[in-house]
Order: sequence, then C-alpha cells, then structure tokens
Amino acid sequence: MANSLLHIDKHVSYIQSLDTRKDRLDYHLTSHLRLSGVYWGLTALHLLNHPTALPRDATIEFVKSCQHPNGGFGASPGHDAHILYTLSAIQILATVDALGSVSKTNVVSYVAGLQDKDTGCFAGDEWGEMDTRFIYCALSTLSLLGELKNPAIDVPKAISYILQCLNPDGGFGMAPSAESHAGQIFTCVGALVIAGVLKEEMSPDQIDLLGDWLCERQLPNGGLNGRPEKLEDVCYSWWVLSSLAMIEKLHWIDRDKLVEFILSCQDDEQGGIADRKGDMADVFHTVFGVAGLSLLGYEGLKEVDPVYCMPKEITESVLNGYKLV
Amino acid sequence: MPLYSLDPEWEDVVPLPQDDGVQPLAQIAYTEEYTEAMSYLRAVMAKDEMSERVLKVTEDVIEMNPAHYTVWLYRAKTLFALGKDLVEEKNFLNDMALRHQKNYQIWHHRQLIMDRIDDSTGETEFTVTMFEKDCKNYHVWSYRQWLVRRFDLWDKGEIEYIDTLLEQDVRNNSAWNHRFFVVFGREETVPKDIVDREIRVCEDAIFIAPQNLSPWSYVRGVLKKANLPLSTFEKTASFYAPLDNPDKIRSSHALDILADIYAEKGEQKERALIALDFLAKKYDPIRANYWNYRAGLIKASS
Ligand SMILES: [Zn+2]
Repeated sequence: MANSLLHIDKHVSYIQSLDTRKDRLDYHLTSHLRLSGVYWGLTALHLLNHPTALPRDATIEFVKSCQHPNGGFGASPGHDAHILYTLSAIQILATVDALGSVSKTNVVSYVAGLQDKDTGCFAGDEWGEMDTRFIYCALSTLSLLGELKNPAIDVPKAISYILQCLNPDGGFGMAPSAESHAGQIFTCVGALVIAGVLKEEMSPDQIDLLGDWLCERQLPNGGLNGRPEKLEDVCYSWWVLSSLAMIEKLHWIDRDKLVEFILSCQDDEQGGIADRKGDMADVFHTVFGVAGLSLLGYEGLKEVDPVYCMPKEITESVLNGYKLV
Repeated sequence: MPLYSLDPEWEDVVPLPQDDGVQPLAQIAYTEEYTEAMSYLRAVMAKDEMSERVLKVTEDVIEMNPAHYTVWLYRAKTLFALGKDLVEEKNFLNDMALRHQKNYQIWHHRQLIMDRIDDSTGETEFTVTMFEKDCKNYHVWSYRQWLVRRFDLWDKGEIEYIDTLLEQDVRNNSAWNHRFFVVFGREETVPKDIVDREIRVCEDAIFIAPQNLSPWSYVRGVLKKANLPLSTFEKTASFYAPLDNPDKIRSSHALDILADIYAEKGEQKERALIALDFLAKKYDPIRANYWNYRAGLIKASS
C-alpha cells in the first residue's frame, strides 16, 4: 500500500540530536517539560529498537536531579513538582530498569497527597488544578511502583470520579460535563484498565458507544482528530488508537489509511514526525507516531503497551515482578 | 525589558544561575534576557521573598514563557501574601490570555483569583472575547462551566449565548456540549416543554447540515435524559435517510440512528440490517468493520 516507509535511522538520529541543540531559544523555553521530553525520546528509541541510544547513567542522574524533598518530580531542576513529570520520571526509570534508584515511599506519599478526599480526583500540584489526566498519572505511577493497593490512595473514589466524566456521546472529558476529548478519553480508559475495573464499570453498550465515538474520529485522509470537526493530528491518532486498543476495538478504524497518514507526517530528511504533513517535527509527535505504528503492527518496531505508552516487554516485566512478591 | 543587574531596586539580590549539574541531557543555553530574569527570580524564590518586585519579575518571565507553571504558582502566592488588588491582576490576565491563546496555566490561575474576588462581573463577557478568537478553546469552555457552577449563572444568558454561537456555526461541538451542560447539568428534572424545545433545536440544526454529527449525538442524549424512546426521532431520521429511496439518503448519522431504532423495535431487524449495510458499503465505508459488528449483534440476538 503506502509507498513511503518509516525512516527508523533518521528518527533515531533526530532524537539524539535534540540534546545538542542548546543554542536555540525554543530548547530553553521547553525546560518546563524537559523530563517528559526525555520520556518521549527514550520511549521512541526503545520502540525503534535502539534502546541504548541515550546514555543510561546520565538519564538516571537527570531524573534524580528533578526530584523534590516532597517526593514529586519537577520538569527540570528548579521547577516545582508536578504529577505529570512525576509520571514521566517513573516511566523513564522503569524503562531503564532503575526504579530502585529513588525512594518509593516518598513518591507514593507525594501522589497520595494530591488526591482530593471528597471527590476522588487528583490535583496536578499543590495548587489544586483538577483534571482527569491527573488521575491517570497517579494510577499509572502507582502501578509502575507496585503500590496501587497502598491504603493511602482511594482508588474506588478516583474511579467513581472518572465515571462522572462520561458524556452522553460516549466519550469522557476533563471534568464532569466537559466536552469529550480524545486525550481525556485515553486517560480515563487507561485509569479504568490500570485499576482493573473497565468491564465491571462500563456496560458492553457503553463500551460500544465509546468505540463508536472513537472510530468516528477517522477522517477521509486516514488521520484521526481529537474532537468532532477538528483537524487530524498524529498525537490524537495515538490517543484514539490506544483507547480503541484498550477496549479491544482497534479493528474499527481503517488500519492502512492511518499507517499511510502517520508516515506522511515524517520529516524525510532530518527525521522526526510532525502533527500533520508539512509541519515541523517534534519529539512529542515523534513518539506518538511511532507508538501508533507499533500498535498497528507496523514491521520492525517493538510492541507498545497501549495503557502506559511504553514498550510492552518492559511494562510486563515490571508489573509481573510485583505479582511474584 | 529591565536589565536587572543595572536596576538599583535589585542591587541587593545575588542572581542564582541555573544549576545544570552534570546532566548532559539538560544543559540549557538561555537567551540573555530570559536567563537574567530567571536568575533573579530564582534568587528571590530561594529567600521566599514576597514583594512588589517579585510581581514584576514574574510578569517578565511569564511574558517570555507563559507555560512556566512554577512562575504562575509563585506569583499567586505573592499576590495573596501582599493582599494585592486582584481586579488589577484580572486586567493583566486578560491581556495575557488574549496574546497566549494556547496557554492553559493561565486559566487555573484565573480560577484561583476569581474564587477570591468572589464576584463574576465581566467574566462571561471575557470568555466571549476569547471565543471570538477560538470558539473551541477547551480550557476556556471548562473555565466557563466553572463560572456557571461557582456563581450560579445557569439562567443568566447561557442558552441565549449558545443560540448565537450555533447560529454562527452549527457544527461547533463545544457549544453543543455546553448546551447540554446548561440544560441538563442541574440536579432537577427537566420539564417537558424544555425537552421538546431541545428536540426542535436539533431538528433545525440537522435541517441546515444533515451530515453534522453534533445534533444527532445531542438528541440521543436528550431522549435518554427524558426517558423517551429513540423512535421519538424516527420521522426526522427517515426524512434524511429514506431506506426505500436510497438516492435520497443525505446523512450517515440518520442511518445510524435508524439502525438503532429498528433494532430496538424487534420486528424490524431486517430494516436495521439494511441501514447498516448502506453504512458499511456506501455511506461510511472507512468504518465498515464497526457497522458490520453492529449488524452481527443484531443477527446474534434474533
Ligand atoms: Zn498533536
């Protein structure tokens, strides 16, 4: 079908080059999401079968330098702790098999402290911005640490909050009554799957309606959008696709057309993937493009775990490790 | 742009440069202005200073990089500690929000400020200004829902505003979502005349754009909330998708709802299968697997 191919080597050197472009202002201006940038780059490299392309020791040192005494991680040294970066930190450490290098108890108490005991939702930081995304970050972090059953966390309450965010159109929003949005759906479904209650809490009809909303996102050009009447985008393609995978309806979209769309968003010369064709590539869309291709069974890639957006062999070995204890 | 090192107001402060340590992944070379402002900000943060000049340096940093969440937090802390006039802060936020449309840290900050001001004067008007630039801005819509709940604005012009938005663009899904929130978001049951009005609004919108998904989803939500069967909408759906006159089919969403209506009725499963077949083969083939799955469910149940 598609006449283009995935430029694996170019994407690898693109990601490696990100660290060396320090003379540019945009590099600096993104320091507020640096730790997530490392997670995106590292995950992409693993999925591209180049797991050692970033130096392991330096990666671990950097992650540790972002940790605060309260247990949470900031985006870079000197940035406040936030649950988004705390998840990125734990994902990176799990990926490079170094979870032992930080204090688990500290991280757990930081995450637990962000839960609103009345609603069950999690705040992103000490200032209390609430969003279903943060529930996912909390549950994902805790499960990677094997601490989902920790009594300091009220998982059932978090789940009941998520269910309040289910809309009549089948999707989920960032808060009760907020518009359905592919990114929020990924986090809500992901949280239900991590807690192991997806099929308990959602009826087959609700799952079908959600699947209907999700596959409705595919546009004639093959790409997926994040909300009705919006433009297609590689990152939304991942959030829709991974959600479909979690509810076992991946085959409801046209695979070949989506593969072709993602490949068309590559920078054929410098490497990297953009949000859509012709735009500037960035590491964020690169990892979600590669992860999407992996989920679609594209040849030559490591299998991705749709729940964690990490290599499946890594999440399996981490999670199985906790079962044995 | 102030040059902090030459400003007498800052002469007692020893700037604190970014400590990148030994992390090759995180070494950062800043532009001069930003580097300077940040190093002074770091220095005052290290002393936990709350003062006028903190407001000034946070303003500068936010101006250059509004997504820097730590700066917003420190600014809020300082404003509250100094007991500043928060209405003035609102003016600053208006200006920032208009110039940085995609930034969302600002909306959380605004919520903190408004909660303290405890008076919503001018707020919905300001969201309208934002929607004039991007009528689907997710964080502004979520902020508007917060306003409605926090200041009890349910009956203060929300429906009228949505009507205007839908007149401008009947495909604005964010507006449809807000409509559902305003009509059905309160605890009480919705009276029949309102339910009828909402069904009519959907019919009118579908008449303008039959292939627009939003009103078709919306009407399903209305019927469910009102405990009415889907067949309430059968006549309208048949008008846009007459199964016996396939050349006149003008909406895949009409076929979709008809398939459910016929499947619900039981004795008309054959017609449901015809509608799904049209969808899989002609009107929405990109999702053929989904439509075939729906057909399979119907076959399995008979
Ligand atoms: Zn994107």
